Amino acid sequence: MSTPARRRLMRDFKRLQEDPPTGVSGAPTDNNIMIWNAVIFGPHDTPFEDGTFKLTIEFTEEYPNKPPTVRFVSHMFHPNVYADGGICLDILQNRWSPTYDVSAILTSIQSLLSDPNPNSPANSMAAQLYKENRREYEKRVKACVEQSFID
Amino acid sequence: MGDESKNSSEEPSQVNQDELILAQQRQIEKEISESIPLVGEMEPISSLNSEYANDEVYLEKIKDLSSKYKHIRRTRPDGNCFFRAYSYAGLERLLDKKDEFNAFYKQAEESKDALVQLGFQQFTVEDFYDIYMEVLKRVGDLTDVDDAKKTLHFLFNEQGYSDYMVVYLRLLTSGQLQKDQDFYSCFIEGDRTVADFCHQEVEPMYKESDHIHIIAACAALNMGVRVVYMDRGNNKSVTEHDFPEGCTPLVHLLYRPGHYDILYP
Repeated sequence: MSTPARRRLMRDFKRLQEDPPTGVSGAPTDNNIMIWNAVIFGPHDTPFEDGTFKLTIEFTEEYPNKPPTVRFVSHMFHPNVYADGGICLDILQNRWSPTYDVSAILTSIQSLLSDPNPNSPANSMAAQLYKENRREYEKRVKACVEQSFID
Repeated sequence: MGDESKNSSEEPSQVNQDELILAQQRQIEKEISESIPLVGEMEPISSLNSEYANDEVYLEKIKDLSSKYKHIRRTRPDGNCFFRAYSYAGLERLLDKKDEFNAFYKQAEESKDALVQLGFQQFTVEDFYDIYMEVLKRVGDLTDVDDAKKTLHFLFNEQGYSDYMVVYLRLLTSGQLQKDQDFYSCFIEGDRTVADFCHQEVEPMYKESDHIHIIAACAALNMGVRVVYMDRGNNKSVTEHDFPEGCTPLVHLLYRPGHYDILYP
């Protein structure tokens, strides 16, 4: 049955295929349009460069009125990513707007990799190292990048 | 700071607070949605009495209200009540006036291009616009006014349609604020730009409406509203305010702190 959420997700998918933003990709899983797999490539000139980070996006029938739940599957070391892969990003919580689509979500997460917000930490160690010991931070991130090749 | 043991542990152990909060929020919303329809049936004003048994201040004001209005139609208190009530009540009134409805329809048809010109993303705006126009067309095509009103009521209680009506009206309101941002910027507190304000307080669903939303929505739809305020204030009567000032309001809404319902003279 086609519901507004499913119809909208088909449109999101079509747009993502026709006009893909650089460095991100995503597609519904084989048998369920409400669950997507996505990949974000680590942005250039950041310690995440060369990483291929996998995510899952889970939508409810309330999409696009409510945001989906987005989670990194790949192990991440980032000030705004929780241990379980959950992401602390305003547009996925209290600043969600129904005008955002999957492309916008993925590109926002991609820019969060380049510009962490250490003042709203989901991983306090990553936030602290990011602020006080950038070299150690980058070392930890690079370990994630290497692990992302194997995952 | 000061929590050395935590900082030296290998794995971050924080609980995902955002998700806990969201989960609780969803539970509350679910409880509300199971008990109150998006847009209810017409009820007599006296039905308000039962909500305020023994509350002299409110009972006095309900008496005053019932001298001015006969009926009330409740809406679900989900943060979208102003937009839903205003849109529903406006269309309901327009169905009685075919010419005005047609003018409204024409104005709605042109609204998408105006939003895209203002910088809204065509792809996502279109999704809401299509449903908005579908609803207008479905009720507008029915020649029998009672049938049209029944269809309107049905569609406004279908979550998919109803919420899209709200989203599109939120986008039109945002567009209006941004188009006239020189004017509206004076009413925005803090350092926020009009565009920031729109992204944070107007476009997201479930965000409650303030005066500035109402003024902009009325300007966007070119449809005046009288808001009747009923609160615990000292005076014995309800107070009325027309948006825009001096208009002949098409829509009448009852405001009680935090919530809007529809009124019928």
